[in-house]
Amino acid sequence: MASIARQSPLLRQTCLSAFRSPFVGKNAAGVSQVVAFHASAKKQILPPLPLNDPAPIPKPHPSEGSYHWTFERLVSIGLIPVTIAPFAAGSLSPIMDAILCSLLVVHSHVGFQSSIIDYFPERRVPKTRTFLNWLLRGFTLTTALGLYEFETNDVGLTEGIRRIWKA
Amino acid sequence: MASLRTTSRLVASTKPLFRPAVFARPYATVEQGMESSRGNYASSKPVSETNTSTVQDPKPSETPNVKTFHIYRWNPDHPTEKPKMQSYQLDLKKTGPMMLDALIRIKNELDPTLTFRRSCREGICGSCAMNIDGVNTLACLCRIPTESSHEARIYPLPHTYVVKDLVPDLTQFYKQYKSIKPYLQRDTKSEDGLENRQSPEERKKLDGLYECILCACCSTSCPSYWWNSEEYLGPAILLQSYRWLADSRDEKTAERKHALDNSMSVYRCHTILNCSRTCPKGLNPARAIAEIKKMLATN
Repeated sequence: MASIARQSPLLRQTCLSAFRSPFVGKNAAGVSQVVAFHASAKKQILPPLPLNDPAPIPKPHPSEGSYHWTFERLVSIGLIPVTIAPFAAGSLSPIMDAILCSLLVVHSHVGFQSSIIDYFPERRVPKTRTFLNWLLRGFTLTTALGLYEFETNDVGLTEGIRRIWKA
Repeated sequence: MASLRTTSRLVASTKPLFRPAVFARPYATVEQGMESSRGNYASSKPVSETNTSTVQDPKPSETPNVKTFHIYRWNPDHPTEKPKMQSYQLDLKKTGPMMLDALIRIKNELDPTLTFRRSCREGICGSCAMNIDGVNTLACLCRIPTESSHEARIYPLPHTYVVKDLVPDLTQFYKQYKSIKPYLQRDTKSEDGLENRQSPEERKKLDGLYECILCACCSTSCPSYWWNSEEYLGPAILLQSYRWLADSRDEKTAERKHALDNSMSVYRCHTILNCSRTCPKGLNPARAIAEIKKMLATN
């Protein structure tokens, strides 16, 4: 078709206008070309518009973000010497025990909270998220209470571990 | 960096010796152990290559070095059909050295319906990012292993919506890129009103950041991004974010930091380091994220 069109400018004109006209469906050659190029039909997978809007930025919260992260890291770093010290030094002090227990409770709470945020996103399972958060709070409180009882009315955490270790 | 990657690959090849087979799972794979549990999975699992046909090389050479490629296929024209693994056999003697050469040859000579993105064929455009043998990489930078016993498996980028075959939908990725305002923001003019100058030392801070081509290999290899891609920005976007935070010419550093200072945008990063391991350009997005965290912590 192209060679014929090159020979006659008039024919070429008609060919071009045929491609541009809305009645292109009547041009058998033109249709086959267009259809072969777009072999698959258009399918909307995501909501299509507005395509070029930026993704929304999550709202900042004073207890989240950098303060939360710094606090979490300080607790984690603080736990290392507090965990090793009583066993390395061999001495027991109720204050060190209390610090160890409270840091442990905070550390595990933050860790589990992080897992809940990761695995139970609010947009997908809002009710499960809330339930698990309250469950975690309940467990943390129970653990804290139990450790307090253990510290005040029993031998204390480090002494307890030592006895189990030697038993 | 390049030498590091070679060493880590050497180390990786010895890993199976010390590790039971149960744990020998390459990261960032879409499909694993399918043969044993076929039929129990949801319909999104691709039909195994044992249940599909194999397309042979139409014009092999006299002494062919035949290699099999299992390629993920899914056609939006038949949305109710399960995705499947289609096998193609190529004579490596008539194929170029890279995975992209193999894909182009399959499309040209074996199966013109195979769909994938490609453009520059030299690791500059980032179009041909896909999951090859369990690792997100650019097909144009990934050599075909020459031993024919190894069968290559090619999937689209994991945890992305598939548009067709190996073409992933990166809409969310680009939207997130737009949300970090990836351009120079300043209100004051420079001293001579001509250029925004910076010293060589300040420029040096951008090395290892500006090279990123946004191929999405790192983001789609990040488990945190798989779970929370709606809100967590992912390594690629955070690397770009840090590129503008580290730029001495940019004057909106405080605003940029404020936009990141929430529980989702940055802090879903748990330093899994898949991003740095998979980056086909040898960049280190995990380091950029660590720098962002440092910047935010020392506010």
